[in-house]
Amino acid sequence: MNARARLLTFLFACAGLGPAVVVLILHLPRFGAHALPYGDLINDSAPRERHVANAVSAVNFDYRGIDTLGEEFMLLCAVTGVVVLLRSKRGERVDAPAGRVEGRSLRPRSDAVSGVTRLLAPVTALFGLTVALHGMTTPGGGFQGGVIVASAISMVFVGEGYRSWRKCAPSVAFDATEGAGAALYALCGFASLLAGLPFLTNVLPLGTLRHVFSGGLMLIENAGVTLAVAGGFTVLFGEFLEETRVETRDDES
Amino acid sequence: MRILMTLLLLLAAAGGTAVVLTRSPRRQVFAMAANGLILALLFETLQAPDVALAEIVIGAVALPLMFLVILASARMDRAPRRPDGGR
Amino acid sequence: MMNALPWAVSAGLLAIGLYGMVTSRHFVHLIGCLSVVQASTYVLLLAAGFRWNAIAPIFSSFAPGTPAVDPVVQALVLTDIVVGATVTALLLALALELHKRRGTLDPDQLRPLSRHRKG
Repeated sequence: MNARARLLTFLFACAGLGPAVVVLILHLPRFGAHALPYGDLINDSAPRERHVANAVSAVNFDYRGIDTLGEEFMLLCAVTGVVVLLRSKRGERVDAPAGRVEGRSLRPRSDAVSGVTRLLAPVTALFGLTVALHGMTTPGGGFQGGVIVASAISMVFVGEGYRSWRKCAPSVAFDATEGAGAALYALCGFASLLAGLPFLTNVLPLGTLRHVFSGGLMLIENAGVTLAVAGGFTVLFGEFLEETRVETRDDES
Repeated sequence: MRILMTLLLLLAAAGGTAVVLTRSPRRQVFAMAANGLILALLFETLQAPDVALAEIVIGAVALPLMFLVILASARMDRAPRRPDGGR
Repeated sequence: MMNALPWAVSAGLLAIGLYGMVTSRHFVHLIGCLSVVQASTYVLLLAAGFRWNAIAPIFSSFAPGTPAVDPVVQALVLTDIVVGATVTALLLALALELHKRRGTLDPDQLRPLSRHRKG
């Protein structure tokens, strides 16, 4: 379809669906009318039964833990897809020179940027680990903490350049971290099976409410998610940044 | 609170429109980062701090980084390829 | 107006995101518009769980039992944001490979049954 036909089809569809959407909006419950009943049940039972203050983490890792297992494997599959796409033609060498763009000068990195990232990258990594570790008592958890750790590692690239960043984040180590995180989460489920209970039942002692180490099996699942997300995003950034280097040998294909 | 919520919802709509109407991809990256921050504020106002934290990190750090790197990589000099795929 | 504004904003973002995808001239711009469509679903879900004068569903400073907003939709949106970013990365990698093979990222020049390609 050419562009005009696409646009006309879209406008036609909008004209057809538009009145239905307007009627729907007018008939939905009022904003703030609190029409969903499960939230109340979980807010009631999460602190009491699971000893966890962060009800969102309780939903993610305990009440709907199997959905989070699926999400982790989605993440693993997407990262594997990127690696297969981008590494298959390029190979796994990591010492290629930087690519050039026509008509653009290469300015050296400024001292201010290097200084600021040297101060901030370790602090950010520590903050990411704190957010991940305190997922049961404060807003946070494995997903947010993992991405913060990955962004701290990519700050090394901004401040120090490609070679230092490659030494700091070897792709083999982070591939392994990502796989280990996903496997850890799946193994938690099998631990419940070994105890004779359904998959991903909380079998460890639950601890006290508002304590950092509360929640039982949720803590290990949280650690698995942190490793998988941090490893996954670092591998993603690595693959993309490798694409800005020049290819140094001919493709075999 | 209602005024803040209304303002942030309208800003979110404006931010989304800005992302779509910015046709140049390099400029769209910065519109996406701004949209991410507006959405994070909106989520915080909707009493969702976990979600706001995730949106800040993803929308302002991870996605702009990936978009900018792909755009830089697409602009690089590469050896010209023959149309059937060989070198 | 406030009673239906979030639903209207969500529908509006969906419509404008789809419009951007339909009329896009650059695949990376199209992927950016996809992120706008994703944002519309986040706004819809979180607004559905909202409750006036309620706290966030985190009971570290408040006693359990205080009226709080819905944690289930927040859990959905949270994992969705992170995994959606990964899927966007996969789409960007596909766009880059497309650029390497065909030299352009314009959807109108990349029609598969174009007459200039042989086979």
